[in-house]
Amino acid sequence: MTYTRTHVILFLGPLLLIVVLMYGMMAWTAAVAMDDWVGMAPVWKFAGWNNFHALLTGTLRQRFLTSLRNNLTWLGVFIVPTASLGLLLAYGLDLVGRAERVLRPLFLYPMALSFVVTGTVWAWMYDPDAGVFNDILRSIGLGRWAQPWIADPTLGTFCLIGAAVWQYTGFTMTLYLAAIRDIPREIFEAARVDGATDVNLFRYVVVPNVGHATMIVVAMLILVTLKVFDLVWVMTFGGPGNSTEVLSFFMFVATFRQQFVGIGAAISVVIMVLAIAVVVPYAWWSTRRLPT
Amino acid sequence: MTRHQIVIRWLAIALATTLGATTALYAAEQQQLVVYHWWTAGGERQAMQVIFDAFTKKNSTTKIVDNPVAGGGGITLKTVLLGLLAAKIPPDTFQSLSGAELKQYVDGNYVAPVDDVWTAQNLNANYPAVIGKMTTFSGKHYGIPMNAHRANWLFYNTKLFKDLKLAPPTTADELIAAAKRIKAEKPGVAPIAIGTREKWPAVFLFDVVLLSTGGPDVYEKFYTGQLDVATSPELRTALEKYKDLVPYLYEFHGAKTWSDIAGPMAEGKMGMMVIGDFAAGLLVQAGFKEGVDWDAVGFPQKPQEVFLMIVDTFVRPVGAKHPEATTAWLTNLTDPQVQGTFNIVKGSIAIHKAVPDSTYPDKLHRTASATFKSKRIVPSSIHGVLAPPAFLSDWQDILTRFLYSPDVKRALTEISDAMTLDKVTESGNWYWAK
Repeated sequence: MTYTRTHVILFLGPLLLIVVLMYGMMAWTAAVAMDDWVGMAPVWKFAGWNNFHALLTGTLRQRFLTSLRNNLTWLGVFIVPTASLGLLLAYGLDLVGRAERVLRPLFLYPMALSFVVTGTVWAWMYDPDAGVFNDILRSIGLGRWAQPWIADPTLGTFCLIGAAVWQYTGFTMTLYLAAIRDIPREIFEAARVDGATDVNLFRYVVVPNVGHATMIVVAMLILVTLKVFDLVWVMTFGGPGNSTEVLSFFMFVATFRQQFVGIGAAISVVIMVLAIAVVVPYAWWSTRRLPT
Repeated sequence: MTRHQIVIRWLAIALATTLGATTALYAAEQQQLVVYHWWTAGGERQAMQVIFDAFTKKNSTTKIVDNPVAGGGGITLKTVLLGLLAAKIPPDTFQSLSGAELKQYVDGNYVAPVDDVWTAQNLNANYPAVIGKMTTFSGKHYGIPMNAHRANWLFYNTKLFKDLKLAPPTTADELIAAAKRIKAEKPGVAPIAIGTREKWPAVFLFDVVLLSTGGPDVYEKFYTGQLDVATSPELRTALEKYKDLVPYLYEFHGAKTWSDIAGPMAEGKMGMMVIGDFAAGLLVQAGFKEGVDWDAVGFPQKPQEVFLMIVDTFVRPVGAKHPEATTAWLTNLTDPQVQGTFNIVKGSIAIHKAVPDSTYPDKLHRTASATFKSKRIVPSSIHGVLAPPAFLSDWQDILTRFLYSPDVKRALTEISDAMTLDKVTESGNWYWAK
């Protein structure tokens, strides 16, 4: 089939629009980050690196570092359980045979929920008085282990991460399931003939053969941790105090509630730089390890 | 013609039709009034309908295009408006709080003066002077208010207070003493109900403590940056008393919103709660009776009782497409009849002096209306009415952090830093303008 000019306009047009819009907005944000814009209406007054400087020193420093630390906590605590639980579930589904048809959608449902729903439900579950977690602990006689959960400044972020793990496990499971199905069945059969158990299969067949899925899963989860916002907004509103704030939350509050638009844009730039700094080396490192 | 070409042709036709139809729809638009507001919750939505009905009765040819944006105090609406206004496609009117919050739109040149409506309706005489002050910037009025909420109520559980023969406290010290009594005699009851998951209720509680230790003058000075934070004895005392309250607060306040704990207070699981009059509506809806399950008193009573006020206004955006409709809308809001009916449903009180106190079905709002007419009215700090919204955001964080680790010295430093960063003194000058 030959491509006509109409094809070119029809298909490249929207692509161009998306590219221009996205990169245009990125450039716009970078420009605002260098600008002393405070208030509702745009103020174009070049400020150089002042906004970034303000984040790193002075009054905003503590808040910026708290947000950054929380993002890094997300990065460190969220990805490994979500990816490994997903892989385990996927392997389990592969083993159970026909029941998979029923189970797979069940595990995927959380993914279909909006973060606002997840956040609200999990905030109820974490409720120190009436929440299901403390209820369970109390009913099995472990009441002394009951926690304030999201009402505790040090536990808060981990509680949020718990909700996110629940929501994203179905997603990683699906990706891993596809990867497992890609492994030639003969390998499994040969291994079984040689007497391999399910655990052996997992260890020596599945894990070494899902590297490409891991790469996608981890890269996507990294991006999730850097842009997480909704759960924080719904479950803790950044509190108690600022203890569960993340960069995107800080950015939203600074821009739209406090109208430090320049500062907000500077935080957005930091988020973008972080995303690039984490994802690009990771993608480079993992593609090199994959067999071509 | 190949199949591809046919498909493409049909796609092009469909696109052209959509575009054409949209343009035609815009061209055919009749006289409209595009309204943006945040009254979306249960009673609020019905209250808005009261205004709509009254407006349509007077302006039958104008169609109201209603754009409600949920989010208490308009936090989400503000984000939406920021985009619309910067893109120069303003609605015909939108809701804003008065004072510092309204000033942001004035500073951005997004709203036009409403002095014509103000003068025509003789609002200088019909509204209290402080309302005029809250809407005046550089000598011009920029908003038409229509209702006032009172922020300084102390709700309490009636049965509990009867049981313990407690009188409702009138000062911060009495509040602490009452809390102490409750804790000693009813260990299972949380003396002070508060939910800080949305942070701002922490400010409600602090505000009444500051009014008690410093009085209204200190209060106004503090929130407009006229007080020396480091040396002011009133502020330090207020923080110390606030600290004294911490052991008596509901333990898990960080996990709850104010609406989560209003019910338990009326049930008797908690004792007292400092919150605005809007809590009354929620309690009544939940089946709790005023005077039987709960009661409320203005707080503090000493050194003087004030009406701590939150005011909603509507404005006239610059470049609104239907200016006559805007004027008709703003005029409608000043109608005492409309204000009376609206406020009964909304759970606030009318600000027009012609609306009698007896309008309201419940004691709380009748008292509020009488206090509004007889006592000093002080603009509340809540929702950025007195202090600039930038400071309010930091202030909520400082206070909720304080409730978890009460350190007066650190709090004072944080307040003074935030005041500098958020330019509170500079932005507060409008309040002191003659």
